Amino acid sequence: MRCRRSRPLAAVSAFAASVAPVGLFALLALVVFLPARAFAQAEAAPAEPASALAEHTPATLAPPPATQATAVVAKDPTAADASPTPSVAVREGRPAQAENTGRFEFGSYGRISVASDLRGGTGRPADIVAYGARVDEASYSEFELRREDTFGDNIKTRIVTTLALFPEFFHFTGNATDHIGVRNLYVQASYKDLTMWAGSRMYRGDDIYLLNWWPLDNQNTMGAGAMYKLGADTVIAGHAGMQRLENDSQFQQIPAVAPYGFGTVPVTTLDRPRTIETLKITHFVRNSENRHVFASDKAGFKVSLYGEAHQIAAGVRKETNPDVERALPSDTGYLVGAQLGYWTGERDTYVSLFLRHASGLAAYDPLATPTTYANDQSTHGTTENLIALSGNWEKEWFGVMAAAYVRFFRDGSPAPTSREKYDEGIVIARPQIYIGEHWGVGIEGSYQQRRYALINQDQDANLTASLLRGAILPYFSPTGRGSFKRPQIGLVYAVTSRNSGARSLYAAEDVFSQRKTEHFMGVLAEWWFNFSSYP
Amino acid sequence: MRNPVATCILGALTAAFVLAPAVGCIEVPREGKRPVLANHVEDWRDEVIYQVIVDRFANGDVNNDYNVRPGALARYQGGDWRGMQDHLDYLQELGVTTLWISPVVRNVETDADVDSYHGYWQQDLTEVNPHFGDLPALRSLAAALHDRGMKIVLDIVTNHMGQVFFYDMNLNGHPDIYIGGTGQPNAGAGTDPTSPVVRATEYDPDFDIRGVQASTSLGIAGRAPMIFFNDATINRVPPKPAIFATREAYHGLGRILNYDIEQQTELGDFPGGLKDVATENPAVRTAMIDAFARWVEEVDFDGFRIDTVKHVEHDFWKVFTAGVRDRVYAQGKNNFFMFGEAFDGRDQLLGSYTQKGELDSVFYFSQKFQVFRDVFQMAHDPTQQKGTDQIANLWKDRAVNYGTEAQDKGIHVPPYKALVNFMDNHDVSRFLFDAQGDKDALRNAMTLLTTEEGIPCLYYGTEQELAGGNDPANREVLWNTGFATGNDTFRHFAKLTRLRKAYLALRRGDTTVRFSTTHVGTEDDAGVFAFERAGGDAADRYALVVVNSNARKASTSANADGAMKVGAAPGTTFVDVLDPQQARYQVGTDGSLSVTVPAQRALILVPEGQVQAL
Repeated sequence: MRCRRSRPLAAVSAFAASVAPVGLFALLALVVFLPARAFAQAEAAPAEPASALAEHTPATLAPPPATQATAVVAKDPTAADASPTPSVAVREGRPAQAENTGRFEFGSYGRISVASDLRGGTGRPADIVAYGARVDEASYSEFELRREDTFGDNIKTRIVTTLALFPEFFHFTGNATDHIGVRNLYVQASYKDLTMWAGSRMYRGDDIYLLNWWPLDNQNTMGAGAMYKLGADTVIAGHAGMQRLENDSQFQQIPAVAPYGFGTVPVTTLDRPRTIETLKITHFVRNSENRHVFASDKAGFKVSLYGEAHQIAAGVRKETNPDVERALPSDTGYLVGAQLGYWTGERDTYVSLFLRHASGLAAYDPLATPTTYANDQSTHGTTENLIALSGNWEKEWFGVMAAAYVRFFRDGSPAPTSREKYDEGIVIARPQIYIGEHWGVGIEGSYQQRRYALINQDQDANLTASLLRGAILPYFSPTGRGSFKRPQIGLVYAVTSRNSGARSLYAAEDVFSQRKTEHFMGVLAEWWFNFSSYP
Repeated sequence: MRNPVATCILGALTAAFVLAPAVGCIEVPREGKRPVLANHVEDWRDEVIYQVIVDRFANGDVNNDYNVRPGALARYQGGDWRGMQDHLDYLQELGVTTLWISPVVRNVETDADVDSYHGYWQQDLTEVNPHFGDLPALRSLAAALHDRGMKIVLDIVTNHMGQVFFYDMNLNGHPDIYIGGTGQPNAGAGTDPTSPVVRATEYDPDFDIRGVQASTSLGIAGRAPMIFFNDATINRVPPKPAIFATREAYHGLGRILNYDIEQQTELGDFPGGLKDVATENPAVRTAMIDAFARWVEEVDFDGFRIDTVKHVEHDFWKVFTAGVRDRVYAQGKNNFFMFGEAFDGRDQLLGSYTQKGELDSVFYFSQKFQVFRDVFQMAHDPTQQKGTDQIANLWKDRAVNYGTEAQDKGIHVPPYKALVNFMDNHDVSRFLFDAQGDKDALRNAMTLLTTEEGIPCLYYGTEQELAGGNDPANREVLWNTGFATGNDTFRHFAKLTRLRKAYLALRRGDTTVRFSTTHVGTEDDAGVFAFERAGGDAADRYALVVVNSNARKASTSANADGAMKVGAAPGTTFVDVLDPQQARYQVGTDGSLSVTVPAQRALILVPEGQVQAL
């Protein structure tokens, strides 16, 4: 039975897409409204301790990579680093004119590896699930330059520019045209408990380090957002942004006869950005004067509820035949999720659970273009459900990071079999032994599997791809022992055993379609410092 | 962690994670898995075949619409197997019982800006063409048809592969279209003996019994190397199974120039650069049997429609049909139907492929030309139309030309009773195109198609009155019609198939021609043709069909010799079951019956006691 959008749903979808800009503006209005409310509160009530917001920044409460996050928070312009000294203007009796105490900051995240496959070739990733082990993933780095200013007691700003370098790099290819992307370019301003931002931004929650993955929220849009602290233990954050990727379903430009003179001028005939609104509420539970929940005052628990709404307007794409056009329908999607997190406050020990359900357009990462559709060319019927678990535990000379997830993805295509209908998951653990303060060895084991709604002809069963991997990572850690201490410089050797299903995912000419075992041996370095967002 | 709150939290997290896989493990539906083979056919004469070009019937899944060019009929349009499965109700309402689907194997994608939407440019005999879906989708279609009591026939090609290699005639290692020659007339590879230059295409060079020759400005240089393409962008890569990626699997003689020369038709490449397979090679024969029998095993097909049979030697057909029959018969397919296409009007040639040990049947091409074209399509032009005696003359040779003995492990019906009757197909212009839009002629021809002996085959879209000219104009997109079931032609054909189903005589009765005429003008009997279907495997069931092919006047089944004599007993009362009013006629005491049939109409008369409720 074909999965067609019903008329009411189509109407809702069209309406949603048509009102998307309204939603966007509504959220922006919220951004404007909240400051006004904040001003009123600031006049009516004594200010919260200036450190509160900093302590409740999600990054702070998501231990991995805690070191990085802590470093960031210490320099957060919303933190309690304002000068207690009255300004010159106040002393001289002039109207208050905020005094600027600003500085430039530089931060970076990076990982770089080079490896051999021990067969004379380059080591290459073998993952088959959407979020596989990061041990063999490609190099990547970000460089962030920030301007941070404080204007009086309550107002702070931050201007962030982050450039990212994507592989391959010059020394490997001899090609000097390295790929650079702008990952952050935004302005953030805070007034007391309210923080606003606008621009182009990575906008993320907590990650699972071993998988290099943000399982609940990970937005990369151009837009604006706001965060507001409700009381001592609750934070609400909203954001609205848009993307118009250069793909066939969002953008088309055709040449047209120039209105004057000769030649052609480009005309954009398809222009339909995806608009995304997000909302996140996080509540923290910790020991306080009136509440004693955990044995240690450093321990804590948090609950985050998260939602997204996605819209894209209808459009028309011109086909190769000049007189044929293809109507692209409006589309919508939503995502709801939650995170439960517990941390001991000792040595980055924590555990987090992520739950997420997405439907329609929201099941696709905004930087990923859907490759399959319902017959009306929408993503109607697409669903994603996932559960992910991650944690870290360290004690004395031993530590272990572990993670796992299961994910059920179903595209909206009418066929019961599709390469975009699958179940997948991974279980991964990396125990580490710290040798002295600055040396360590990690042993990583993982098993990942993706089960497709495709037929394996040889077995007359579902195509099931799986791989088993073991890795050893000896390293030097200048900043001390700990799973999240960086920088690290080390060696890596990973061996991966791939089943026939995994091999069948590659073209016959690819050695990955033939070899059961893959090796990855090389060097690996990773760093992060003074960085305002995760990599 | 010893804190009870923390313990509870951790416990909840772990439990949630462990239980997560139970949410839903994905499965390929049962109908998408390998079937258990079974015979689904009682008697192939009971079937009504519907020919489908998959790319043109219905688009059930936009996700395989790779490189479609809507409106450009030489390119892919987006139809697929799922689309067909979605419209089985439509087909059942029309009354068809067997789908003949266009080839399913993977093709070279495109060539000279024309696509392989038709499926005849095969590159890999082991994989499905992803434009039409995946293997589970094909299996699902077959299973859905079988669930409804319907059957499915696969179109296969053994004569040639797609354009998978080129002849490197100028020995430069890549394919060219060029002007060459030695300056001496007829010294190159050309056919014009007076020209000192030739226009040569290494993709599709002219036939040369020596093998396509390489040549330089000094003259010929021996056989041109056959070099397999390796262009993954259009799937023009060495073919599979592996033997078809070897030169030994091909004749390499170039393109057929003269179809009257048997050597060329059997050994030459099919026009368009389709490389002729060396079907006399035992290894090739084995590979062909294995490749196509495997499709039966993978999908549970009920028969093969076999392309271009006259371009393959008879000995191949004996080996191929026996090989396939042995293999599928052993797995329960004990009524597997193999019928061939020999695009030729010569009745004896057609019949040569159904002789002992070869095919079960062929398309009745001679009838297509001599009956459906000359008698029905030309009804609008009395100067071109032929008398119905041409039908009688053709039919009387059926037993002799096609054979009276069923093939071993075949369909248990002799070929002359199982010919596949058709009015048009994907290789000729549509009926209405040649009939200049004469829908009465079309509907009248349908009556003959569904009541004559043999197996009727309707080309998709005929029921929607599509009227395209030659290929590819005759391969319209059906979904543009909205699958309407209310037009007169659809309803007429649906009624005819209901009648055929209801009356055993129309399906299995022997044929006796009772009236025909040479007249096509204003004579009383001009255009009348009458035949009985009775006896044989229909026992005492009886039907008499009287057709008037004349487009201008009512005609009568009588001539100077008197009224038509019928086989029914004197006094028998006939009911015209095609007539909504069910008019009655009585056989005279002398066994004669004179009926007047309106222009381009027909009567289907059955004895009053045998009338069935539809």
